[in-house]
Amino acid sequence: MFLGRVVGEVWATRKVRDLEGKRLLVIEALDERRDPAAPKVTPVVAADPIGAGVGEIVIVAFGKAARVACGGDGDLAYEAAVVGIVDDAQIPEAPVSWGFRGKR
Amino acid sequence: MLLATVVGQVWATQKDQSLEGLRLVVVRPFVRAEGGGEKHSAETLVAADPLGVGCGERVLVVFGRAARHVIGRGHDIGFQTAIAAIVDGIEFEGGESLGPSADADSH
Repeated sequence: MFLGRVVGEVWATRKVRDLEGKRLLVIEALDERRDPAAPKVTPVVAADPIGAGVGEIVIVAFGKAARVACGGDGDLAYEAAVVGIVDDAQIPEAPVSWGFRGKR
Repeated sequence: MLLATVVGQVWATQKDQSLEGLRLVVVRPFVRAEGGGEKHSAETLVAADPLGVGCGERVLVVFGRAARHVIGRGHDIGFQTAIAAIVDGIEFEGGESLGPSADADSH
């Protein structure tokens, strides 16, 4: 699992049946060594069963955890899904650009 | 799951029996360029293609059990990467959008 920022959304008409009706978000992992001006990483695509928006920081799960979050189990065409939308976090070394203020 | 562009096709005669008749394509994972668009990445992956994708098309790639599910031959096959969707478009924050292939990008 990792923390990532939703940077976009994917549209696809031709796809396997399992993917129908689920939003597919493009998510860039937060990396504390990386400031926003550094070269971009390969983004991950995750199914979104909870309704995250572009710009939000989310928790992404992989594998069976992702399929369970999408309401299935073993036989689903997903292996990444948004399982939480982050309100705030306390990470002392996090860059300001992540937007966390920590517990007050 | 990753976004990628199909860059070629692979043929192999000697292979695991469970892979007979499977179409295999070579894809290049998508990396965003600074200031928008796609950055050319040197990395490639091999993926099974049950949808019949064409060279240059942007696709969604899945891994592991999800990939074996997409391939549809049960879970005892020697493969772990598959194409699950053909991308029509990607909308990024700030209004940037990418099309179904790198050629169709407008920015």
